[in-house]
Formats: sequence, structure tokens, C-alpha cells
Amino acid sequence: MAELVNLTIDGHEVSVPRGTTILEASKTLGTEVPHYCYHPGMSSPAMCRLCLVEVEGAPKPMPSCVTTVADGQVVRTQSEEAKKNRRGVLEFYLVNHPLDCPICDMSGECNLQDYVHAEGREHGRGREPKRVFGRDDFGGDVLFYGDRCVMCTRCVRFMSEVEQDHRLTVVERGNRSVIDTFFEEGLDGTHWHGNIVDICPVGALVSKDFLHKARAWDLTHTASICTSCSQGCNIELHTRDNLVQRIKPRENLDVNGWWICDHGRHDYEWMNRGGRVEAPLVQADGSSKAVGWTDALRGILAAAGSFGPGTVKAVASPGCSNEDLGALKGLVEALGGGDIVYRSARAAEEIPLKGFPQLARRKDLAANTTGAELIGIERAGADDARGGLDHIAGHDGIVLVLGDLLEDQAETFGSHAGLYVYIGTHESAATSAAHYVLPACTHAESEGTFTNRDGRVQRFEAALRPPGMARPAWLVLGALTSERSGSEVARSAADAFRALGDTVAAFRGIGYEDVGPRGAVVNEAVSLTGD
Amino acid sequence: MSDVPFRNPGWAGNTGDFDLSEEQVRGDDFVGERPRDGGHASGAGSMPYMLADKAPEAPLFEGAFQERFEKILTRYPTKQAALLPTLGLAQEIRGHVSPASMDRVAELLDLSPAYVRGVSTFYTMYNKRPVGRHLVQVCTNISCNLCGADEVVEAFLRYTDAELGETSKDGNFTVIEAECLAACGFPTCVQINSRYFENVTPDQVPAICEHLKAQGE
Amino acid sequence: MAYPYVSDHEVRVLSKHFGDPQQRRIDTYVARGGYSSLKKAFEMGSEGVIDEVKASGLRGRGGAGFPTGVKWSFMPKDSGKPHYLLCNADESEPGTFKDRELMRWDPHQLIEGCLIGAYAIGAQHVYIYCRGEFFEVNQILARAVEDAYKQGYIGKDIMGSGNDLELTVHQGAGAYICGEETGLMNSLEGRRGEPRVKPPFPAAVGAFGMPSTINNVETLAAVTHIVGNGGEWYRQFGTEQSPGTKLFCVSGHVKKPGNYELPLGFPLMKLIEEVCGGMRNGNTLKAVIPGGSSVPIIDADEVARCSLDYEGCVEVGTMLGCASVIVMDETTDIVKQVRRMVDFYAHESCGQCTPCREGSAWTAKILRRIEEGRGTEEDLDVLMEMTQQMVGTTICVLSDSVAAPVQSSIMKFREEYLALIRRGERVGAA
Repeated sequence: MAELVNLTIDGHEVSVPRGTTILEASKTLGTEVPHYCYHPGMSSPAMCRLCLVEVEGAPKPMPSCVTTVADGQVVRTQSEEAKKNRRGVLEFYLVNHPLDCPICDMSGECNLQDYVHAEGREHGRGREPKRVFGRDDFGGDVLFYGDRCVMCTRCVRFMSEVEQDHRLTVVERGNRSVIDTFFEEGLDGTHWHGNIVDICPVGALVSKDFLHKARAWDLTHTASICTSCSQGCNIELHTRDNLVQRIKPRENLDVNGWWICDHGRHDYEWMNRGGRVEAPLVQADGSSKAVGWTDALRGILAAAGSFGPGTVKAVASPGCSNEDLGALKGLVEALGGGDIVYRSARAAEEIPLKGFPQLARRKDLAANTTGAELIGIERAGADDARGGLDHIAGHDGIVLVLGDLLEDQAETFGSHAGLYVYIGTHESAATSAAHYVLPACTHAESEGTFTNRDGRVQRFEAALRPPGMARPAWLVLGALTSERSGSEVARSAADAFRALGDTVAAFRGIGYEDVGPRGAVVNEAVSLTGD
Repeated sequence: MSDVPFRNPGWAGNTGDFDLSEEQVRGDDFVGERPRDGGHASGAGSMPYMLADKAPEAPLFEGAFQERFEKILTRYPTKQAALLPTLGLAQEIRGHVSPASMDRVAELLDLSPAYVRGVSTFYTMYNKRPVGRHLVQVCTNISCNLCGADEVVEAFLRYTDAELGETSKDGNFTVIEAECLAACGFPTCVQINSRYFENVTPDQVPAICEHLKAQGE
Repeated sequence: MAYPYVSDHEVRVLSKHFGDPQQRRIDTYVARGGYSSLKKAFEMGSEGVIDEVKASGLRGRGGAGFPTGVKWSFMPKDSGKPHYLLCNADESEPGTFKDRELMRWDPHQLIEGCLIGAYAIGAQHVYIYCRGEFFEVNQILARAVEDAYKQGYIGKDIMGSGNDLELTVHQGAGAYICGEETGLMNSLEGRRGEPRVKPPFPAAVGAFGMPSTINNVETLAAVTHIVGNGGEWYRQFGTEQSPGTKLFCVSGHVKKPGNYELPLGFPLMKLIEEVCGGMRNGNTLKAVIPGGSSVPIIDADEVARCSLDYEGCVEVGTMLGCASVIVMDETTDIVKQVRRMVDFYAHESCGQCTPCREGSAWTAKILRRIEEGRGTEEDLDVLMEMTQQMVGTTICVLSDSVAAPVQSSIMKFREEYLALIRRGERVGAA
């Protein structure tokens, strides 16, 4: 623990470690000193001049983003002097700003709007013609509206310091300076450039994918975890009309900092995919028939009654939550035991974020491989997540499939099974032999946890309403287990996770309250093969 | 005062009496021929000149220019520090700093092309597009302005029949306004390619331009 | 033969050999006693040199007037890192033309001062950051450095002293802001010449991240004479607080513009009337900018009371800056000239800090509109208030330099602005 420094900010005494900036120290009081160029994940050029605060004894207002605290320092962030400075700087920002908020994607979550609304002048005094830069395609997913830019250079610094591919620069100088790439080079071929849209404090850098798609204030933000690889980046799902509209990173210094990769950012269309299984389907007389949950579960229990021990063969997706996988394991055991495999895709190369070394797009492209392994599920199939199911495809006992879309499997999959239950989102050729197809929620529609490659258990929340009668798999599987073995039924995801702790040592003693917003590391050292 | 305006070496104001030759004032007889290879390494980085003859497609950097480039590299603790002199060298050869030149310089110095573009656009001496054989930069800042610099600019534009910043039809002249050239005691100061013309008055402009065209300097 | 416009009032120390082309030659320089100060410095030891410069009271000639010896003493001792001395030869403050003369007439005087300074602060390498537009000066300087290398005044084991020093002439590429010390460092490192946030100060983290000191050409040239003749000798010139001689760059509407080396504390009116021969065409003095375009304008009354030293200028509400005296007579259109100065700052703003980037260009636009006869009286209030927002709020002081001419001219020549705004009357309009 670093030595503490005592100072006074806005009349309140604060103790923070030596070396803390005044801006960060103010945050401990809940005071956010307005700023543009400062970002905790990058160097501070102290050039926006918005974060100037009054420090007693200093001849000039000091930039709070780079001025470190000192013992006995008296800081005023809300004094007339400080406010006057902000009012003045904000006026300078508006002199050439196009004020095109009605058609700006940033509108509603824009720091320029917010700051001017809070502390700007009532009436602008600019009468001169405005400078015009126009719009530029930066390649990748990024459009640049030069006229909205506040020249904070966060994007330039992200590319040079964090992604460490110096594609962006300030071109020209003074009032003519503008952000640009090397002529037509653009950002194509970089893998983290979506972050510059996030850190742009105004609407200068916008996502092409999100362009004019929704107003910021119509979006509902839900905490989630990225499912694109085993890194477990913390994200938010932004939804409207029960559709995911975009993905934004959520800060977690232990995992992804402030950043996510472009692959994960754009990996959301599957959550909006239609054609879902919306009701439990029972196969009868060569065609499937929708039934109620009670009928379906009773039917399955009845059909499962006649098998001996060790006759279950199951395949589960490593994109399923710990709760789902734990519940599957519980059911398999209740049905007399058997084995469970998972299949997962692996990328040839890891894509590291050089300036934030703990973060990379991992080779392991599933969110919960670690969870599956800890629960005792074994990997099968090839690196493209195909094959490896021959022992199940022709199995004559109980076949259970959870989440795996079976896209590579033939119509004959499970056709010899005594009981074939498919729990998932979509029907495919390989589900045609299933005796029961049960509609499950995606992770975007349910609550749960994933265990990332470092053994960190992280929670996600339900962002979408599930279609029709779809339910979380842990609930369905838990209900079957409870009926079969008489065990207590998990009524919430938290219960299901606790139940998992009862059977899997790695999770023992960890509850949702321990996981919190930044995750909790499982009890065992994690080592994954092939990662 | 000399009646040949372009020989005015400009060290004395416009009424001074002096007995030095232009060469002596400008140091030509002291420095002699400008070495293409940059001479001693300590000054190699300060050698880029703006020349009338430009070869926009010429290779960067060969022969003596390669030697000069290598000398420049020896004078700094980082490769990046050689960027400004190297861009200057590219401009001496090609007449302006084109995107292709930026790309090549970036490659030579292990920098990103975007970075090089950012740096080169910061500085006014790098021409981002081709200019005429003679880049005429008239100081119009305060000291020269007080003494009639605006009229000198007009005189150049009239003579060359071109817009400010545009190249004359014959390709000989590009006239631009310059910021203070640090010759405020000798107004109006005009920098044409690498040399200063001082105490320039509007009526001297045609003679200066004729001289330049004749000399092909 | 003499440098023109020699005045009896002058004390020619640094400018002694202006106008003598022989002085550039190393043989002449050495024959006239050159490089003896360097030899003496090696004998005095680095602490001795710093003490002598402190004793002289020499203040930085680049504009800020910070005591040179004190600045040198900030450099760490035995840091184990390379140290650098940077000579700021990026002369570009409007009105200033002394460094160019110093370098092209007497390059070795500067080189010797650089070497002494480098020795004093424990630097191994000197960079003379010379303004890019000075092609001829650069070439003269490069030749002089080459000669000094060949004769053993630069390089390994200088004059058998065991001291090694390197010196490189670096050519700028056209940016006023590179005259700001940290902007210069960034530029030297091959970056955009944007000033850096201080702290850290250059003595801790300077060029290439190493302890560095940066001095103006005139400062280092003066060091050569201070070490040669002693700090006490230097103090015989000038005032108690502003000792020494100073090159005054006089431009504008005087009969004899030029560089004059005078003791600090010289009366401004006397400089104009006696040294420079008075106003051209017998015109009347209207205003003077005494320290380069970044300092406030003073009117004729203030000129009469102003003595040219750091304190005397502050007394009349302006600054000595780099002693670039821009003289304006009654034909001067103040609005136009202020607009031209602001255009300059808007053009030269590096663009980092918002108040400077946006404020300078905005100010220029308003002034242009006023100049074109489309101004309003409210514009003057906006200008006063808005430029005040540019003072003390940015990384460097370029922003403050916009406010100085605008505010001082509106305060002192308000009637001229109003005549233009209300009646379309312009001074000097034919």
C-alpha cells in the first residue's frame, strides 16, 4: 500500500495514495472534474484545459489530470474561478462545433452536450463562419466527423499507445489540425479500433454498424460478458425493441480494462437471430408437436425411467453458463450417469492488445471452456468445433444435447437413441430425430456466470426477453433432476450456482455476492490445454 | 545603395553605406560550395536546401544523398530524431514532400507513415504539393507590414500573374505570404528558395523576378 | 568599415565584429583571442563556471529573463545519464532579428559559448536548433562547427583537457512554437513541435528524456565573454537587476532600424530618438512594442517613461521580452497590425490547448471583420473577455501572446477601433 496523502478538495478531507492525480482523488468524493483528453488507460497530454482547478498557492489554475496530490493541498473544483474557466473553454469548443446534435449518434451520451448543459454559457457569442472539415471514412467500422471533433487526441493515443499501431495522427496544426490516417491507409486490418469510438467524448468517431440505428436514450444497458473467446471481457449489451443494437465494453481492470476487440464487439447478431424454438416440441407419429412444459418434462421423465446406469451420452456447448453446465451434469448423474463432451472452436492466432498485456483475443473462442472443464466435461472434436460426436450420434441409450447447434451433424444424429432430448435455440437437421426439443434461452436472455480462462467467474444479466416459452436451461434441467432424484430445485440462477458449488470443488463457497461486478477467481488453479 | 536590387545583401537597412560584396555578407566566400554529401556529419542535418530544379520522381536517397542520410543518423540518440532533417533532404531532392516520400522516410526510420504525415504537416517548410521553381515567401508580419509588405506581395502577384499560393503558368513562381523571417530591420524581407532578399520594395520586384528567371537559380 | 548605424551609445560586446566577414574564419577568431574562454572554463571547473555566470547576473535573452546561472544549477549532478545542452536558435518572434546576425557574423562566439555551457552542466552533446528558414546561417554555422572540429575545439579531448563534447547543428522546419523550449525538444526528437506539460522540467526530463538545459543564442554568446572577462566585468553594464548589454532589434518606422547593442536600462525614447535617428519622415511616434509581438503595446506617453530593462518595462505595463522594439508612427493602422499579429499566432498555434487553438482563430476572425468595417462595439467586449480566457490557461504562453496585443490595443487605442466600427474610418487609408 502506497503512502497516503491528506488534502482538501472542495472543503472535504481526502486521503489518497501518493502519486494520485487531483482528478482521480476527486472521484473518491464522487466529483467528476469535466475532462476530454484525460483517460485513465492512456497518457495525459493535459491539452483540453477543461479539467483546470484552483489549487491554493498555485499562480495559475492547474490541470487536475496531471497534477498529483500533495500533503495539505487545498483544491477547489467548484470555485467561481474553476467554473469560469470551464464556461470559457466550453465556449471555445462551440465556436466551430456544428451543433448537429439531432443527427449525431453521440447525442444523449455526449460529453460536450452534458458539460455545456451543466456549465456552459446560456447564449453563444460566436458570429463567425464555422470551419468545415466534413466526413471521412477511416476504414474498419469507423466514420470520422471532423467538425464535431474536440481534438482531445484520445483516438490517436489509443492507436499509438494501446493498440500500438500508429495509424492515426493529428494532421496540420492550430485551428486547422484534424485527426486523420495516412491518406487512404485507414484502420483496416487493425483489431481493436472500435475502442476509439467508445473513448471519443463526442460524436466525431462513430460506428458504421451503429450509424443512425438508435438514439442513445432509447437504449437499455445490461451488464454482460463477451462470448467471443475465453478472455471474458466485460461488456454491456445495448438493447432496444428486444434486440441487441450494439456492444460496448464495461470497465474491469482485472480483465479487459476499458477495451474490447472488434470481433467481440460485432459478435451480437446471433443473439437477435429469429426462427427460434419457442415451445417444447414432442415428436409423435413422425411429426413434432408443441406441448406445454409440464407435459414435456413428464414425458421425458417417463421415457428416461427405463434405462440402466451409465447410459447417458451428452454434448454441451462451452458457450453455456456454469449454471447450465452444472445442471446438465446434475441431470446426467440423476439419470444414472454417463459422459459429457463439449466442442469448441480455436483460432490459429492470438490477437493481443499490446498496450494492455493481459488482454487478447484468445485462441479459445468459447466463453466458458474453463467452466466446462472444471465441471468435468471433456473436449471433443476438431478446432473448427466440428466432429467428435460419432459415439453419440449412433448411441442407443439417452442422448442429451445442450446448446450445441449440431450444424455438422446429419439427420440420423440420435436416431438410434432410446431417448434423445435436445435443449437449445434452433432446430437443425440433426435435431429431427430428437424425441424432445426444448426451447432454451441464450445467455443474452438469462442470468448466469461464465468462468474465463483465468478461472474468473463473472456474471451476466438478462438483456432480452426470451421468445415464447423458452426458459433458462439450468431451470429446465434442474426441474428434471429434482423430479428424478428428489433434490431441491434451484429457483434462481444464484441457487443454481450455489448448487454447483456443492458438487464442484472449484466453485465451493463462492456465491453471486462474492462475484460482484469484477468477478471472483475459482478455488483451483486453472490450466487449460492448447491455449 | 546598390542599384541592382537582388544584390542587396540586407544587413544594413536601405540607406546604409558599406563596402562588402554580396558574397562576403552572405558568407558565400567563406562556406564555398555546398557539399551534396552534407560535409562534416555535425552539419549534415542542416544542409537541406530548396532548389529550383526539382525531380519529383527521383529515388530517395542515393549516392551523395545516401551518405548525407547516414551521417544524419549518427548525430542523434534515436532514429526518430532524424525525421526532420530526412524530410528536408527528401524535399531538396524532390521539391516537395509527397505521400510517397513520407512513406519511404517512415520505412527508413522505422516509423508509421501516419506518424510521419502528422509531423510533416506540422511544419510549414515542407511543401505538401509541388511548387514553382522559385518559392517566393514574402514576410507580411508586423515589422515588414508596417513598411509596406502587402504592396510587395501584390507586386509579386502582379508580376507572376498568379493567385496567392498558386504556381504561375510558366511554372517559375509560387508566391506565398510568410510569417516573420527574422529580418525585421530590413523590410520587406522576401525568402526565395534558400536565400533572403531584404529591403525589397514593390518597384524592385520585376527586376528580381527577371534575374531569377535569367539565372535559373 | 563598420556595421551600419553604429551609435556612440552602443557598448559592442557581442556585436563587436558584426560586418566583418573575417570573423567567421576560425583562424581570425582564434587570433583575436577566441576559444580562450573555453580553455579558461576548463580550468575553472564546471562549478566555477556556473558561479561566474551567476555572479554576472546574466538573464536569459530568449524572452523570459530567467537567471542563466541559476538555470544551469538545476541540472542534476552525477545523474549517470547523458545530459544535453540545447541552443535555441529558432529565432522567430516577430520583430526579432538578433540571433541571425549573431550566428552569421560571429558563429564561433556562439559555438564557444555552447561548449562552455555544455561543460558547465555536464552535457556531452550540444544541439544548436537553428531556424529552418536560415539556410545561409545554417551553412555558415555548419562550416564554422566543422572548422572547430578540425582544430580540436569540439570532439574528443578538447585542447588536451580530457573533455569530450559533441555539437550538432539541427535545422528546424518552420514552426514558431519550436522556439518554446519543450516544443523545441519535441521537434528535435522528430515529433510535432508541441510544447510539453511541465513538470517534469527539462533539467529532469528534457531532450530524449534526459536532463537538458536550453539557452538562447544571445545568452550563450554572452557566456563566452562573461567567462573570459569575469562576472564582475559584465556587471559594469546595465542595471543592478538587469546587468549586461543587450542587442536591441529596432524595426518599424524609425530612420535607422537595426541591431544595437546597449546596456540594459537604456531609455526607450533615447533609443528611438538618438540611436535610431528618430522617426522616419519626421512623423510622430504613436506606439511601440518593446519586446517582440508577444508583449503589450505601449503608447507614446509610456514610451517616454520606459527604460529598457526587465523591471523598467514591467513598470509601464509591458515586458522586455527579447528586446525587439517595433516602432509605429501616426500612419499606423493599429487594428490592421493587431489583426496581422493575431493571424500570426493563429497560424503558429500548435493546436493542443483548446483556448489557444480555438481562441486565436476566433480572435483573428473577429478582428478581420472589424477591419473590414463589419464590427460592432460588443465585439470589443467579447474580445477583451475572451482573450482573458486565454491567459494562464494553457500549456505554453503562446495563448497569452494573443491576449497581449489585443487587450493592450483595445485599452490604449479604443478610439481607433470605435472610429472604424462607427464611422468606417481607418488610419492611414488613402
